[in-house]
Amino acid sequence: MRNIVCGAIVALGLAAAPALAEYPERDIQGIIQWGAGGSTDTVSRSVTPHAEDILGAKVILQNVTGGVGAIGLNQAERADADGYTLLFGAENPLLYKVMGLGQKDYSDFVPINIIARGIPILVARPDAPFDTFPEMVEYITANPGEIRFGSTGPGGLPSVVTAMINEKTPLDVTAVPYDGDGPALTALQGGAIDVMPAVLGAALEPVRAGNLKAIAIFDTEGVEQLPDTPAITDTNPEFADILPWGPFFGIFVKAGTPDDVVAKLTDAYGQAAQNPDFLSMMDGRGFRMLSLTGTEAQDFLDTWQSQTAWILWDGEIAKNSPEDFDIPRP
Amino acid sequence: MDILSNLLMPLLNLELLFLIGAGTFAGIYVGAIPGLSVTMAVSILISFTFSWEVYPALALMIGIYMGGVYGGSRTAILLNIPGAPSAIATALDGFPLAQQGRAGEAIGIVTVVSFIGGFIGIFALGAFAPLLSDFAIGFQPRDFMLLAIMGILLVGSLSGDSLVKGVFAGAFGIAIGAVGMDPLTIQDRFVFGIDELRGGISFVAVMIGLFGVSEALIQMHSIHSPAVRQRVAGIIPSWAKVRKHLPLGLQTSTIGTIVGALPGTGGDIAALMAYDHAKRVTRNPETPFGKGAVEGLVAPETANNAAVGGAFIPMMTLGIPGDAVTAIMIGALFIHGLNPGPMLMIEQPDMFWFIVGSLALANCFMLLFGLTGIRLFVKIVELPRTVLLPVIMVLSIVGAYAINNSLTDVYWMLGFGILGYFMRLYGYPLAPIILGVILSRLLDDNWRRAIISEREDFGAMMMGIFTSPLSLCLFLAVVMILVTNTPWWVRWRARKATGQTVAERQDHD
Repeated sequence: MRNIVCGAIVALGLAAAPALAEYPERDIQGIIQWGAGGSTDTVSRSVTPHAEDILGAKVILQNVTGGVGAIGLNQAERADADGYTLLFGAENPLLYKVMGLGQKDYSDFVPINIIARGIPILVARPDAPFDTFPEMVEYITANPGEIRFGSTGPGGLPSVVTAMINEKTPLDVTAVPYDGDGPALTALQGGAIDVMPAVLGAALEPVRAGNLKAIAIFDTEGVEQLPDTPAITDTNPEFADILPWGPFFGIFVKAGTPDDVVAKLTDAYGQAAQNPDFLSMMDGRGFRMLSLTGTEAQDFLDTWQSQTAWILWDGEIAKNSPEDFDIPRP
Repeated sequence: MDILSNLLMPLLNLELLFLIGAGTFAGIYVGAIPGLSVTMAVSILISFTFSWEVYPALALMIGIYMGGVYGGSRTAILLNIPGAPSAIATALDGFPLAQQGRAGEAIGIVTVVSFIGGFIGIFALGAFAPLLSDFAIGFQPRDFMLLAIMGILLVGSLSGDSLVKGVFAGAFGIAIGAVGMDPLTIQDRFVFGIDELRGGISFVAVMIGLFGVSEALIQMHSIHSPAVRQRVAGIIPSWAKVRKHLPLGLQTSTIGTIVGALPGTGGDIAALMAYDHAKRVTRNPETPFGKGAVEGLVAPETANNAAVGGAFIPMMTLGIPGDAVTAIMIGALFIHGLNPGPMLMIEQPDMFWFIVGSLALANCFMLLFGLTGIRLFVKIVELPRTVLLPVIMVLSIVGAYAINNSLTDVYWMLGFGILGYFMRLYGYPLAPIILGVILSRLLDDNWRRAIISEREDFGAMMMGIFTSPLSLCLFLAVVMILVTNTPWWVRWRARKATGQTVAERQDHD
């Protein structure tokens, strides 16, 4: 009898041993919400190797795309809350509820690091009959319905920026939807559309080459990459109360993940985000580094969600009222 | 001099030479296995080559890309299972040849014409990149819509005996392509509240099921009959044979280069359009199309390899991807600290010539690895079916799982496999289904973009078509394809050329 009890205790000890071993003791799976080659993919794949060195484990990245990122998010949410499944996501999930795309968002996750923010920019085809934001507003008012704005579907960056502009100065433009900012910027260079609210990184190279014309940086301050382009608040100070705003990238784990695991991941990705190679890559792509963690990251997410959800609801783009989900008005 | 040294850099540097060779070799096998795609291989390589210098990383990716596009033809010919969507047309005439014991010959000619097509695409990249990218970027939504309509009309070429069944299959494919969240309005379509359907049905899963599993099921009917003995002579095609098909190959390579250079269309559409073109211009093939016509191999294989060079054209000149693989390579360039865009060619011309040189070298490796080892490869078909069929099933399941690491795709694949089996039993062609799935989005999105751009004014859209030279050409091409397929036109042609054709026919019969 004693032998059996001893045996059982030893067996229990052995079974418990892996739980006591230090995280991470095997490969970590990373789910990227967006496709290979896109911004989220590029950022995730650039920062992760530095974090791997610190963690001492491999992070196996895969792209799980579709449903505006909801399929990847749901897959990460179904996994165990043990820190072995990371979600690399962008801002979109914060709008799933109001856009009617799903019942899960980042409130089911814990932020590890909000890495960086994109800066919106208004770009036009090079031969567009205006050079500045006031000139553009004047032209559109004089020629209603003539100007085509590129869009990436309701809830995407262009739709939010367009709604922000409409809130201040209602404009009669035609929004032509594309599959993403890449195809829309291509169409802009080919003259199929006239103006596109895009993220700075995607528009930077064609603007530098003169294939696109920068109208305004949609932020409270200009950017060093394009010193001649004014911030929108320089010409139209009324935008100051809703800016700065922009898409962002973050790394998340499922809510309920043990605190020590979250701490370890937060530390690893926090250090990785300071790597000089990574910083220069992010700078080249026109992203503003944030590297927010803990409560700072959570506050950022909450503010972002409340601000954007209400803009979309007021702009009649959202399907569900933010009120239904207890998202407070900013 | 600088150009030459950059062009020859991959050849003179042992490390790069090895990487391109190894990449091409691996690519042929990645391409040959249905479901393992070049896109997947290249995106895995991004993480794998993260710490490398940019040149070796690119060299490996380019090798995989070139080899992979070619590799898709292997299983298409030997097993009737296209290794990649761009090899669907290759199976139509390649597999009948294998059944006649001429698989080696088919692979031989495919390898040589792939090399030729690849070279033409690379030449276009090196010589006319800025010109072609200006042309490609000028395509408006309405032009893509017309191109998609032209593509849909290919159903006629892919239908086999019954046009009605072909049209049904094509329409079915378009419906499958419409499933999932519409990216333009984020509305669910045919989703029925099921989350897994939001992302749509992976068309690679459809393809593996329709071709792989259904082929295995069909072959079970004759499980005990002996396999066809393959002839091993005449694998390397004679110069006379290559020369005979060179004019067609040049035309289809041009199609491939242009379709490849268009952002959003790639080798799969190029190959199908080239197949259709071959059927149209080849008056008297030695063997009828669908029964093992060599023209039916030459056209798609030149086109899909030419599309590789084509896809690099907008990538190198504008930083705009020409297809899914170049989209990932642009991501790789970013990660390596470069900023691909219009300035890349001006600020770093060495990168451009390095890529041209690497592509050319990969193309040569493809010819080398393609022509050696065929004898061994064709033995696969001589395996007893009791061994071969389980292998096909395992490969199909692995391939379907690998698309998204998701079991859902495996279920779809199996479902479409069983469906494909019954469709084949009842004489429905399967290629139009894939055509429909591929073109569904292209047609749907661009039709809506074109009409939204004109504020839903149909008249204004038609005005746009008639006032733009490019749109008008495409529109006339669509009209011409339609008219030349009407019975009245066929009768009129026949009456006009009665004497001539009768004489020709007697010659051939």
